[in-house]
Amino acid sequence: MIETLLSDLAAATQARIAAVTTADELETIRVEVLGRKGKLAEVSKDMGKLSPEQRGVVGKLLNAAKQSLEETLTTRQNAFAAAALAARLEREWLDLTVPAPGPGLGSLHPLTQIQAEIEDLFVSLGFTVLDGPEVETEFNNFDALNIPPDHPARDMQDTFWLSNGHLLRTHTSPVQVRGMKKLGPPLRMIAPGRVFRNEEVDASHEHTFYQLEGMMVDKDVSVAHLIYFMKTLLSAIFKRDVTVRLRPGYFPFVEPGFELDIQCLICNGTGCPVCKHSGWVELLPCGLVHPNVLRLGGIDPEEYSGFAFGLGLTRLVMMRYAIDDIRQLQGGDLRFLTQF
Amino acid sequence: MKFSSSWLAEHIDGLNLAPAELGSLITIKTAECEGVEPHGAHFDHVVIARVLTSEPIPGTHLAVASVDTGRYGIKQVVCGAPNCRANLLTAYVPPGQLGVTNAKLRGVDSAGMLASSKELGISAEDEGIIEFAAGNPGDAIPGCSSDTIIEIDNKSLTHRPDLWGHHGMAREVSAITGRPLRPVAAELPSGPAPIAVTIADAKLCPRFSALRFENVTVQPSPLWLQQRLESVGLNPINNIVDVTNFVMADLAQPMHAYDAAKLNGGITVRPATDGESCPALNGTTYSLDPTVLVIADESGPVGIAGIIGGGPSAISASTTTILLEAANFHAASIRKTSTKLKLRTDASMRFEKSQDPANTVRALARAVALLEEVSPGIRLVGGVADVYYSLPPLAPIEFTLAWMQRKLGKADLTAAEVTAILTSLAFGVTEAAGQFTVTVPSWRATKDVSIKDDLVEEVGRMIGYGNLTPLPPLVPNTVPPLPPERAYLRGLRQLLTAQGYTEVYNYSFVNEAQAVELGLPIPDHVRVVNPIAQGQELLRTSLLPHIKRNINDNAREFESFRLFEIGKEIHDRGRELPEEIPHLAAVSFAKHGDGTASLFELKRLAGTIAVGCTLEPATAHAYEHPFRSAIVILRNEPIGRLFEFHPSAVETGRAAVLYLDLVKLQALRPETGKYRPLRRFPTSAFDLTVVAEPRELAGRVLHLIEPLAGPQALKVQYLYDYTSEKGRSMTYRITVGAADRTLTSDEVTATRAAIIAGLEATGLTVQS
Ligand SMILES: [Zn+2]
Repeated sequence: MIETLLSDLAAATQARIAAVTTADELETIRVEVLGRKGKLAEVSKDMGKLSPEQRGVVGKLLNAAKQSLEETLTTRQNAFAAAALAARLEREWLDLTVPAPGPGLGSLHPLTQIQAEIEDLFVSLGFTVLDGPEVETEFNNFDALNIPPDHPARDMQDTFWLSNGHLLRTHTSPVQVRGMKKLGPPLRMIAPGRVFRNEEVDASHEHTFYQLEGMMVDKDVSVAHLIYFMKTLLSAIFKRDVTVRLRPGYFPFVEPGFELDIQCLICNGTGCPVCKHSGWVELLPCGLVHPNVLRLGGIDPEEYSGFAFGLGLTRLVMMRYAIDDIRQLQGGDLRFLTQF
Repeated sequence: MKFSSSWLAEHIDGLNLAPAELGSLITIKTAECEGVEPHGAHFDHVVIARVLTSEPIPGTHLAVASVDTGRYGIKQVVCGAPNCRANLLTAYVPPGQLGVTNAKLRGVDSAGMLASSKELGISAEDEGIIEFAAGNPGDAIPGCSSDTIIEIDNKSLTHRPDLWGHHGMAREVSAITGRPLRPVAAELPSGPAPIAVTIADAKLCPRFSALRFENVTVQPSPLWLQQRLESVGLNPINNIVDVTNFVMADLAQPMHAYDAAKLNGGITVRPATDGESCPALNGTTYSLDPTVLVIADESGPVGIAGIIGGGPSAISASTTTILLEAANFHAASIRKTSTKLKLRTDASMRFEKSQDPANTVRALARAVALLEEVSPGIRLVGGVADVYYSLPPLAPIEFTLAWMQRKLGKADLTAAEVTAILTSLAFGVTEAAGQFTVTVPSWRATKDVSIKDDLVEEVGRMIGYGNLTPLPPLVPNTVPPLPPERAYLRGLRQLLTAQGYTEVYNYSFVNEAQAVELGLPIPDHVRVVNPIAQGQELLRTSLLPHIKRNINDNAREFESFRLFEIGKEIHDRGRELPEEIPHLAAVSFAKHGDGTASLFELKRLAGTIAVGCTLEPATAHAYEHPFRSAIVILRNEPIGRLFEFHPSAVETGRAAVLYLDLVKLQALRPETGKYRPLRRFPTSAFDLTVVAEPRELAGRVLHLIEPLAGPQALKVQYLYDYTSEKGRSMTYRITVGAADRTLTSDEVTATRAAIIAGLEATGLTVQS
């Protein structure tokens, strides 16, 4: 009887499917029973011998058996696939706490960082950034800044003199001269850069350090403008409101000349070792541009006036990061440099 | 410069300010006060005492003395001075002063100390305990009192010749406080000049004034004078020299006293002649030349003008007649001579600041009164010898009130305020309707004040800059672009740190040994003429010497590292300013491994910085690995090198370096081109394997294939190679295509055949 045969095959196959333990075994059963040359196909081949009525009945039974077996198979196949995926994922456990291979992030020199920060600040205030050479003419470094030969101010700046008759600039102020000639009035410029003083090096003295020169020339620039500007600028640099004061200071290229002090940021002016108990920290020299300097820069001092200042970038870096040995800045030691 | 606050107070009527407050005011208004220190506080406690008995302590050089101290009663004191004797009036220091404590010396109790002049801080005299001719036990030490010293930064006095003396500073204090300055006596004797004076060059010596005295007694100065000098850092010598120093410290006018008996004839102020020399007061004999100005008598130099007096004519115990000089010399000339002789003195320091020629006679007048006090019986001989050449007076300075207001940014500044301030500083002021005409006092006119801008400072500082209201400048608000070079360098730095490189800054100096090590020719360097330390002889023509040092230094701390520097090479251009060329040096170092990873990492970096660059093998420098050195080429221009340091140049590990000329690199950066439409037709690709010598360069073969592949070649790509001792086979992938159609297989085959034929024609073999 073909019906009996079918139901026995279906029951036996269901039992075998239930018993498999691997996806491969399942596949073997599928090929054996449901494949093109499988047992169900053989049964359907024999259907030709049946009467049309019987064929209809058996056909239905056959389809039902096939469908039922396929469903069971698919269910089990899915289960095996899901288990396999789960097993793969589990095998792919990864420790993401180990360091990534390849180089880490490098760091910029702290002077580069502070210089960029201050440049951006000045650019936003309408200042042009200029460059000047490290080797300067005696004229630009001294004479054009109202420091003629034998002026005692030349003693204040120990100069490296060079075999070619020139010198290593002792300040960024020569860029004032270059800037006036290049830009003409009115002008706003800054010039950051490396400067040199011929002195012995120790923890607080360097022969090579960084300054930022600033200059503004316009009609009727006054001391009151200078104070406003310095206060605004220094508040931005120190990221807090700072109190500044001007006191007389002597620099031949400005008249009047000032030393600008800021109220000590450590003790807020009450006195501490950092400010030597004075409440004030000397920060930068500044002043109104001397008429002789304007004249040598091709600007008429009767028509224009200006202010200039020199900010010590090296000093600022040391203050910001509390660096106690200035030599570190040009020591090339990565243990130091990678901290910034 | 040290200022005694009690000395300053003597010049001012009713000055009533604590010295610390005075120091702050001077800082704000005049010059930087560096410190305010008490001086001689012990004089409030030290007293005159009479030695009642003095008995030697056997076996020692000490004596035990019983002394009547008045204020502190009878005390027993152990004393080591040879002059300790009964009835002596000396100084008693009670415990608690000058570090003195109640002590037991050789088993003897000692309550306090008998002191020498040196121990009291009066002079350098320490031959024995001080002796007084008169006085009562318990009296304070006559002429000595506690004081406070105000120390002013010399640099901030550079432009103020008048502030190198107490009187000048007192004038400032008077202007600051509004208390009146007391006049200084200026009475000079009249009579014939006591000595003939000739000045050879009025520019170098604008004025020479002198007085002659006889019946002089040379002896120690009174204590008040000694203590006063000592308090401002001058050593008491004898009464005559002390007076000259006192006047200098008061009026800023250096003076010199000669033993007139040792002078031969008249005085000439003249340049020295070649071969002349001058034995000086300090025991040194200076060789002179015509750049040095001397004071000479008929026998030769008796002093170096403005710097130091001569030894043979110095005041000595046997001196009975003196010539007292107060002269004025050219500042720059004094400065030059002082630098040349390496001799800076209290006199030269003052003359360097351009002293006031009118001051010589003021100083002499002041000295007369003092000499009469310290050398009783002294007599003037004749009047003043005073030779000077009148300079045209400085033209009055004119300005308007409105101008002064604009300069300071103070619109409410009044004419009365300006007048009051300038008058208090001894300027002569006339003002009408806001138009000022100002004459400058002689002591400010030598250099300090000559134009109206100089007066802005005078007015500004006395008003106090803190009394100006900060004012925003009225200027157009335009933001200028960051110059392209700066933007470029900034971007480059960001790129390098993102790739793991840390920035170093190195000095612009190298030493000769460093240059030689890297084969940099010494004569190509700009040389420092006056280095004060080693390692500063030359300006760097390459960043590599310091980079090499950075590598070796950091290799001691790290297994591997990356660093870079952007700095300037400085190339000598003779009399012109040198050429300063920014360069980049990037280093990848690894202690272990064969070095290839570092080199290729830097090659990749080069490709990121100099997009499209290629490498060509270079003839290695001595410091480079002879087989690992290449020139970096961008658009047919060499822009730098990629190499590994020679093993002899590094202490350990391997260091690869990329060194680029940033000026060339920036000039060769590609300009933004036009967009190319995306390809619409498929392309074909085929691989070829070229067999060559073992050290054939992959890049050379690539450059051979490119032109052979013809216009349809879109890309020629190196894939991989296999290299053995026998040879090197390198596989390339060639991609071809056309813009307007799909290439036929015949066309592709033809291209392939053309490449193979072309390569074989150069002697290479192509594997099929
Ligand atoms: Zn503080």
